[in-house]
Amino acid sequence: MDFDFSADQRALAEAIQRIVADHRDLPRTGNVVEPRAFHPATEMEAALAGGGFFDIALEDECGAVEAAILVYEAGLSPLVLETGASVLIAPLLTGEALSRPVAVARLSDLTRGVRFLSEARTLIVDLGDDVAVVDMGAHEVVPLDGVYAYPIGKFAAEPDLSAARRLGAGKAGELRRLWRLALALDIAAAMQAATDFTTDYVKQRQVFGRPVGSFQAVQHRLAADAEKCRGTYWLAIKAAWSGSPLDAALAALQAQRAVTQVNYDMHQFNGALGMTLEHALHLWTFRLRWLVGEMGGYRTQAADVAALAWPDAPRKAG
Amino acid sequence: MEFAWTESEEAYRAELRAVLATLPDDWWDEYAPHGPSSPRLMEYARIFNARLAERDLIVRHWPAEYGGCDASAWQQIIISEEMWSIGEPRSSLYLGTNWAGPAIMKFGTEAQKQRWLRAIAAGELLWCQGFSEPEAGTDLGNMKTRAEPDGIDYVVNGTKIWTSYAARADVMFLLARVGGKGKGGVSCFIVPMDTPGIEIRPIPGVHSRHDFHEIFFTDARLPVDALLGEEGNGWQIVQAIIHYERIGAGRYEKAARGLAHVVDVLKARGLFDDAVVRADCAAALAMVEAARLQTYLVIDGRAKDSEPGAETYLARWAMIQADHAVANLTSTYLPDLLVDGADGHLRAQFNSAITAGIAAGAAEVQLNMISGRHLGLPRGN
Repeated sequence: MDFDFSADQRALAEAIQRIVADHRDLPRTGNVVEPRAFHPATEMEAALAGGGFFDIALEDECGAVEAAILVYEAGLSPLVLETGASVLIAPLLTGEALSRPVAVARLSDLTRGVRFLSEARTLIVDLGDDVAVVDMGAHEVVPLDGVYAYPIGKFAAEPDLSAARRLGAGKAGELRRLWRLALALDIAAAMQAATDFTTDYVKQRQVFGRPVGSFQAVQHRLAADAEKCRGTYWLAIKAAWSGSPLDAALAALQAQRAVTQVNYDMHQFNGALGMTLEHALHLWTFRLRWLVGEMGGYRTQAADVAALAWPDAPRKAG
Repeated sequence: MEFAWTESEEAYRAELRAVLATLPDDWWDEYAPHGPSSPRLMEYARIFNARLAERDLIVRHWPAEYGGCDASAWQQIIISEEMWSIGEPRSSLYLGTNWAGPAIMKFGTEAQKQRWLRAIAAGELLWCQGFSEPEAGTDLGNMKTRAEPDGIDYVVNGTKIWTSYAARADVMFLLARVGGKGKGGVSCFIVPMDTPGIEIRPIPGVHSRHDFHEIFFTDARLPVDALLGEEGNGWQIVQAIIHYERIGAGRYEKAARGLAHVVDVLKARGLFDDAVVRADCAAALAMVEAARLQTYLVIDGRAKDSEPGAETYLARWAMIQADHAVANLTSTYLPDLLVDGADGHLRAQFNSAITAGIAAGAAEVQLNMISGRHLGLPRGN
């Protein structure tokens, strides 16, 4: 067993980290961060595109682990960028790069709300057994304003997908495996970034004459949350490496179950400041508030974990 | 990056399972439920450990000069998984292989190494750990037991408590105070349990009638070669071995196998059709696998001779949560199976899980360590 990335994977991670670090400044008016629900990573996106990073999963000797590195590292940024569907799901599902941004959704989500749909050029739809790949050029989407730190959109009416390309019977299972992997990576990154941000904050913020982070009541919860971040991360990386549907479902389950406590703690420790749009915390925690319910939430992942882990159910006689 | 076992690691696991196949037929009914410190299991461990030793299986990861086979650190976690998950038929031999041995290897004299390490490799020693005291449990630096040098020997007086295995152990890894107050006054000793001046009182526990003991030292004389390392460097030794101790037992694997058994029983009772039950089982499995990976991360560092870091404490915390998650499934959905004679496998997992956050350093200490070493948070007043 070897938990280290290869030299090439480390180089990839470092290159992406440099780009993310170089393009993480939030837009400001004077000294104040512009109060928006999310900030698009326009320059970071251009830099990653210029470096050819979005096609990493299709490069020779590359695949899900390399794509996972990009999804995770980009997900640490306070600026929002669609990567999971276009960098990981689409190329590994179809063998080709689809026009990005790419949105991914269940059929029932289309008229309710889909992450990145308002700006997506391609939509991947889980039809239950088959998968539809939709060119979004001809479709009208309603952007949804709200609290989430993602662009969200929905179809104004039930879309006609009859002309959409189909990937074939049985492909939806593979879509769900990849979607869960991408979901777990997005959650792992947002939880880690929110925890790092909060850890820095509680080291500096004084209360009763000492740093907030010196109180054991705060420390123990942050420590437990740190474990949730690392546990989720390693489950996701292993799932990327193995290609196992069970590993992906476990990663997504652990990720979605972790979100509620981590989100609550981070907001508690940032206090009222964390409830303002000028403070960066919401840029991760309000991603998490969307991600916690994606793909049906943790009960859906749990049901599939149970089905995959314990398939042959000897039932009670009679 | 590689998450699969090598062929030689799989072969080692198969060799261990061949020896485990020799366990008595009533293992889950009569041995495992009462824990690795029960009299019957400790007695049986001497036979079982000899079988392991015959095949050179006990410390494959140690250097050949001390009875090992120069294998990687991964073999240590493989034997921990295989043994702990089935109720630890080695009994407290594992204290010797997991951390007392490494401590002797790192800090002992050559004579100590030849004496103790070879005996561990030969499966001859059952250990106990003389750390906690009535007024110093988690706060080890507050211990009061003294080892006074009188020019010939060290003379030990004091009390240890909540000590597992003590009544039937051969040797104790003892912390005692030679110097002054605080952590700097602590020293380590290796103490044969038949040393005159040691009195042992069993303390029945809720999880096991035979696990805890109180140990009274009254003018117990230890020769100078019982001292491990230098006088006053006991805390340094403890800090060095703590990483081995805290993830030494493969608790996640015991939880994993316990969970598989829980699911089988739930299915047999028709309870696994319930979506909530299935979700709870799935959540426990995710916690077990998260703990497993974080433990493997620590072992990976050890196999590469990296300095141990905060990953140990993250792994230990994850392991405790996973162990409790499975035990809670049993007490929530199968409470009738925790009574005597009902289901030894479930009882064994439950009994060891409920001590997981207390033994080998309180869970809250793990959180303290994560706070300081992983997150860099400032100390409180």
